[in-house]
Amino acid sequence: MSGTQTLAAANSTAKKTNIGKFLIDWAAVIALVACIIAFSVLSGKSFASTSNLINILRAMAINTVFGIAATVTMAPDGFDMSAATLASCSAYAFVSGYLWFGFSTLGSVLFCIVVTLVMYQLTMFLIIVCRIPDMLATCALMFVHQGLGQWYIGGGAVSTGMKTSWGADPARTKLGTSFSAIGRAPWIIIIMFACVGVAYVFLNFTKQGRFLYAMGGNKEAAKLSGIDVKKYRYLAGMITAVFIAVGGILVSSRGSSAQVMCCDDYLMPSLAAVFVGRTVGGAEKVNAIGTLVGSALVSTLENGLTILAVPYYVLPAVKGAVLALALIAAYATKKED
Amino acid sequence: MDKKTLETKNVSIEFPGVKALDDVNFKVSTGEIRAVIGANGAGKSTLMKVLAGANPTYTGDVFLNGNKVELRSPVDAKKLGIQIVYQEVDSALVPTLSVAENIMINELVMSKGVRMPWKQVREEARKALARLDINDIDVRTLIQNLTLAQKQMVLIARAVRVNCNFLILDEPTAPLSTAETEKLFEIVTRLRDTEQIAVIFISHRLDEILRICEKYTVMRNGKIVGEADITPKTTTKEIVEMMLGRSFEETFQKTPCPIGDDILKVEHLSGGNGKLHDISLHVRKGEIVGIAGLVGAGKSELLKTLFAAYKMTEGKITLNGKELKMRNPADAVKEGLALVPEERRKEGVLVNETVSFNLSAANLGDFCVASFVDRRKVRDNAKKYVDSLEIKTPTINQKVRNLSGGNQQKVAVGKWLAANSEVYMFDEPTKGVDVGAKKDIFRLINDIAARGKGVIYASCENSELLSLTDRIYVMYSGRIVAELETKEANDNRVMNFSVGGTEDDSRKETVKAN
Repeated sequence: MSGTQTLAAANSTAKKTNIGKFLIDWAAVIALVACIIAFSVLSGKSFASTSNLINILRAMAINTVFGIAATVTMAPDGFDMSAATLASCSAYAFVSGYLWFGFSTLGSVLFCIVVTLVMYQLTMFLIIVCRIPDMLATCALMFVHQGLGQWYIGGGAVSTGMKTSWGADPARTKLGTSFSAIGRAPWIIIIMFACVGVAYVFLNFTKQGRFLYAMGGNKEAAKLSGIDVKKYRYLAGMITAVFIAVGGILVSSRGSSAQVMCCDDYLMPSLAAVFVGRTVGGAEKVNAIGTLVGSALVSTLENGLTILAVPYYVLPAVKGAVLALALIAAYATKKED
Repeated sequence: MDKKTLETKNVSIEFPGVKALDDVNFKVSTGEIRAVIGANGAGKSTLMKVLAGANPTYTGDVFLNGNKVELRSPVDAKKLGIQIVYQEVDSALVPTLSVAENIMINELVMSKGVRMPWKQVREEARKALARLDINDIDVRTLIQNLTLAQKQMVLIARAVRVNCNFLILDEPTAPLSTAETEKLFEIVTRLRDTEQIAVIFISHRLDEILRICEKYTVMRNGKIVGEADITPKTTTKEIVEMMLGRSFEETFQKTPCPIGDDILKVEHLSGGNGKLHDISLHVRKGEIVGIAGLVGAGKSELLKTLFAAYKMTEGKITLNGKELKMRNPADAVKEGLALVPEERRKEGVLVNETVSFNLSAANLGDFCVASFVDRRKVRDNAKKYVDSLEIKTPTINQKVRNLSGGNQQKVAVGKWLAANSEVYMFDEPTKGVDVGAKKDIFRLINDIAARGKGVIYASCENSELLSLTDRIYVMYSGRIVAELETKEANDNRVMNFSVGGTEDDSRKETVKAN
């Protein structure tokens, strides 16, 4: 008799942990759904409408793209504190390419990506060749990026009606429609989903992506399995750089100019999105879909609370609380192992 | 001065499944240097941990000067004047603090008040070092700038500074050079003569033991099997015999396979973080070559250097007649080398990935179409090896960390079978593996050789080497000291070379054995 009882007890604890695990694995998604329901009830049409949905998507696009950049870096257990400052440089390159040099929109995009890739060589040099821990190397580079970028733009914004940093007349004086369209719906939303899709496919369905995750799980074992860890860390860096460039382009197109340090503030929110997304679906590692969910959660909260007339200056506290909860879900449960 | 004694009576320790110590009666008194000897896993370290209070679950009694004492925590042991210096010196020191602070750390932790008494701390530390006649260490240096030998001295100075009657040194000479060993011996002898301290000295190097110890205790399978005074007549041979005993494990029946030409050739290799010196060896097709040697002899370093995970500073490696220039393990894999490393969970498998991914990790490129992983091919490959290696897993999508040790090891081997390498290297593959899985792994290695591949098998279990290999190289202190045909080898000969014995000793042995 007691045997069956123990068995039943064991079964019910197993079930309990299963339910607990399910709740934790899907916590971010559940929170997102709960937010949507709550705001729809509280604010009615002003929240639950197509136009507001587009608002939310547009607002989260830039943050998501930076989040994807961080996701690719963090898959092999890397880290990049200087992503946002580099993105500001990308923005300067993009707008200066368009206004100062008169490149076409596509030409400016390519110019921006090339400049970002070139600048990322320095990051890779410090991390791979000099073997400085990622966090420290990129911390130093933050300042390098800020200084170099502002030296290039001469300390002022790159926008219409301004001379170049060397005092010449710019090649263009107006922004074209294609330049501005990038930063508006629907393009900004399409670009966001494209970035998430590309990163998702890359990380899950290609050899290189799987190797990055293998390195993130255990670098030593990956190395002794014959994975060239330096080569793949470099590859991750280059892909990150492309996403950073895309982020910089979105910011400047949306702002119709490249303001000084225009992207710097995106670092923390994008990292928050990545951390929130880490647990989504029980992945236990950074992943593209999770980052999208994390970013959506933060944006939905901001949007809903703004409609509810919560003052904007309180919003960071809400963002921080969401991040803290996500980290609790990820780490507080770990101790049981 | 009165002699102090430390004695254990019927001390036993049981870990799940094994009796680590079995009714041990051990006695040591001040003013002697006692050697404790035994093969790996004989129970030396377990006994020392009991004496140091680090194994509180022992049964039986410990007596100090005839009075019963309880050694249930390191603090108990220290209060009774028993100090231990572990082999891993770095775990007992704070690298970023100075020598003085490290020597005085116990006092600093206990002291009240906020002011750091720098002058006093340095003065006391200086005195502690001077007592051991150590003059070349400045107490203001940071620990991280010291050599390993100096760190050891700092630890000894800390241990004997106050209230120490019994000092345990756990394999202190293993990482030391000859000159450093000499210096250590001076200190140890000094402690015995002028400080009246009993030194318990664990070492695998029998020649050293014969030089400085008065008495030796031999352990085997958790028991003390012999104890004797060291006289000029004592030979390494008789000690080795005691260490091994006559009990042999059940042997594996090797299927002989035809041996072909040289496949791998290593000439005058040095490197492996400075641990390897002038190593030459060769492996032939279909041959299983054993690397014998005790823990710390350099077996793992050798395999990792051949796999380009460590740098080779000198020498030449040729595979199938082609000289290899490898920068990293990725190059080694491309050339056809495979390594199943010793630290399975840390280095051999990706524990957070699935069985199926692990089995394809070494050659994922073969399962790809233009970089895109063909999941069906990966699945088929995984199924094939799960079946053929009898890996016990509910599904191929199970994460490897949920498998048992033996099955994890099979995954670690399986990934290289899929990669179809030329030379397979195994580093202690049966460590932590149960008997059934052990047999499977042996059969697997035998099959690899039968396919005409070269196999290098490193292990400190001589019985395994004797039943599985065709030829054995014995390593001692980073050098190959002997090459033996397995047919002509026996446990005594291998062990003799492993502890630094000479051909003379072992020849006598063989004659006697025949």
